[in-house]
Amino acid sequence: MAKPEKRTTVSTTVDRLIHEPARLTILTNLFVVESANATYLLQQTGLTWGNLGSHLVKLEEAEYIDVVKGYNGRKPETTVSLTEKGKKALLEYRSQLLTALAPLATE
Amino acid sequence: MTTGLTDLRALERNAFRKFYDDGVFDIYVGAMLITMGVAAIFADRLANEFQSGLLTLGLALAVTVPLLLWRRHLLRSRLGDFKPGPARRRKIATTRLVLLGSVLFGVVAFIVATIAYRSDADIDMAGLIVPLLWMLNSLIVFGAMAYLLDVPRFYVHAVIIGSAMPLLIWPDMLWDTKVAPWLAFGLPGSIVASIGIHKLVAFLQAYPVLEAEAAIDGEA
Repeated sequence: MAKPEKRTTVSTTVDRLIHEPARLTILTNLFVVESANATYLLQQTGLTWGNLGSHLVKLEEAEYIDVVKGYNGRKPETTVSLTEKGKKALLEYRSQLLTALAPLATE
Repeated sequence: MTTGLTDLRALERNAFRKFYDDGVFDIYVGAMLITMGVAAIFADRLANEFQSGLLTLGLALAVTVPLLLWRRHLLRSRLGDFKPGPARRRKIATTRLVLLGSVLFGVVAFIVATIAYRSDADIDMAGLIVPLLWMLNSLIVFGAMAYLLDVPRFYVHAVIIGSAMPLLIWPDMLWDTKVAPWLAFGLPGSIVASIGIHKLVAFLQAYPVLEAEAAIDGEA
């Protein structure tokens, strides 16, 4: 019996942690700045505090971002920046996605 | 929600540009020009140059310092804060250099104009050159700001602000028609400030104050 052809899909060839739209938006926004506070990310991404927080935790666990908690006056302020690993992962994701979608351009 | 994956440069440009959408800088520049017009009124009414200079300086500080302090709060509470990347930082540094150059250029031009006025230099020539220098300076400074900071409306400001000094001097030279200094500076200043007020109203509607940051610990 012939072996079934192994199917390669976009979701299996790209980094699935980055493939989620909200996390991708966070990472691309961080890619173009050196660092940003959470309010900036909230405004840029349109996420809620809860969603933003949960995605930041996942990205921090993967060591894609650095999260520094501090204070601006008496108000708590979280500053976020992309790590080298995060930058590399995002660029790799971009090229993986372009490679995966390349056949569409010739069809 | 757009990811901006396809054009990171446009994403950065749009994010940075938002920080000039508040119009406060426009109001600040407009207010400075209006202050120059008011300074002329002080100079006319007060015999003492020191007093009129002090009043003008006081007025300029009273208008601009609270405005700039408020701007910081306005932007932080609605847009947050960020540290730009290296390319943008270079552009900001270049803009500052251009502004510094403009100030030095202004000081030199003022000294040269004063010397020319006190000597027997050709007053008509000064009347032609000083407005041209003012216009050139405005075009360079605001043109550079528009280009480097990606805020196209500063090109318009360059032309409006550049017209102030020619409006003051050339009608008198060419048609013997005097334009009052408060009008020559006040009119362009009011136009620029009006653009700023319009931008500010739109900004306040588009970007509400964001809910204060709670502890970000992912427990959503």
